[in-house]
Amino acid sequence: MRPNHHLDDATLLSYSSGALPAALAVVASTHLERCPACRTRLLDADRIGGVLMQQQRVDAPTDEARTAMLALLDAEPAIEQVAPLADIVEEHDPDRLPSALHPWFGNSMRALRWHRVAPGVQRIRATGISGGDLMLLRIAPGSKLPLHSHGGSELTMILDGAYDDMLGHFAPGDVADLDGEIQHQPVTSPGVPCICVAATDAPLVFSGWFARTLQPLFGF
Amino acid sequence: MMSPDRTVPEVVPFGAKRSVTHAINTTPPDAHYWSTQMSAVSTQRDRASFMRIYDHFAPRLQRYLRNLGVPDSVADELVQEALLTLWRKAAMFDPARASLATWLYRVARNLYIDHVRREPHWLPIQEGLDRLDHAESGRLDSQPESSLDQDILKQAIDRLPPVQAKLVRMCYLESKSHSEISAELAMPLGSVKSSLRRAFAKLQGSMRAQR
Repeated sequence: MRPNHHLDDATLLSYSSGALPAALAVVASTHLERCPACRTRLLDADRIGGVLMQQQRVDAPTDEARTAMLALLDAEPAIEQVAPLADIVEEHDPDRLPSALHPWFGNSMRALRWHRVAPGVQRIRATGISGGDLMLLRIAPGSKLPLHSHGGSELTMILDGAYDDMLGHFAPGDVADLDGEIQHQPVTSPGVPCICVAATDAPLVFSGWFARTLQPLFGF
Repeated sequence: MMSPDRTVPEVVPFGAKRSVTHAINTTPPDAHYWSTQMSAVSTQRDRASFMRIYDHFAPRLQRYLRNLGVPDSVADELVQEALLTLWRKAAMFDPARASLATWLYRVARNLYIDHVRREPHWLPIQEGLDRLDHAESGRLDSQPESSLDQDILKQAIDRLPPVQAKLVRMCYLESKSHSEISAELAMPLGSVKSSLRRAFAKLQGSMRAQR
């Protein structure tokens, strides 16, 4: 199924220019794996980079630099034939996590070791990522999360289950690309837990007394 | 300008048929010219074509990397590595998907993120996304990038309002995140994002308009 909620244009530009904080880039890559439409938009963004790169005024390379480059070519082995590309089949294995998440969470949904952080909410936090916070969240079906907004940017992609908020219905593959101005209160769909990967580049801000007491539990 | 920019493209065997439909007196060389050079590199391992590509793009990639704050010696190494990648993977270049400028921009950007930002997982993920695109290229609705596209995009960038142009350049040529741009210009994060959105919509519109 093709996603219905996509990466924001500003996020794509940042991804294309290599400026998106690492944690947000992991979630963006996860969505790009599933979304041919966003990959086409990314190519447009890369075209802008290509034109800007090519437009710069420069001097011709020096003779030394050209000689050095040719020497490197001499050192190259004769080209081996590029193997034909394997046909990539759409992944139907519900246990397999998207490739972009493997370095941080392994490849199996079943093998994940969840930690309870609040009633109905479990989490696994990625360690060793620079630039923001990256985590998997597993939220019990039919839960209402506290109303919150975001100090900076947040990217969330649904891996399993679904939720609804003021922005619509979010199902697997859909990405919620939010910034500080949006306050939302997701309600997970009944049936199966909602599992998502979320990244922030700044702490979440929960509003209300009850939510503020939850905030330390989330550890955001 | 350096000499290849003024040179009339030589007719090489694999490009000859397609050259007929294009004016070959364009300066600077266009996307079609570069795809002809690439086809000579990939099918004949033609070093002269490779060096034409090198002479044009190496200094531009070097300038791009230096602007990102990469020290000169590292930038020089990354440029060599980008061009070696081109030499090794020339057969992977698909002019129907992207121009050589776009392709090399991606290669250099990926090397920057891998070597300078030290994000070891970036390269394998980009290769995976590339493979998906190759597997799907028959189904994609994207159009080949022609030299006309590049000219139109260039003009559209030049026509951006000053603030949007400034943000697009900070994003691409300084690789600044939205929050870094926001802090540096004392501009609210929401405004940074909405200006970039408007800029992208205009530039995308220019690319789509003539298709």
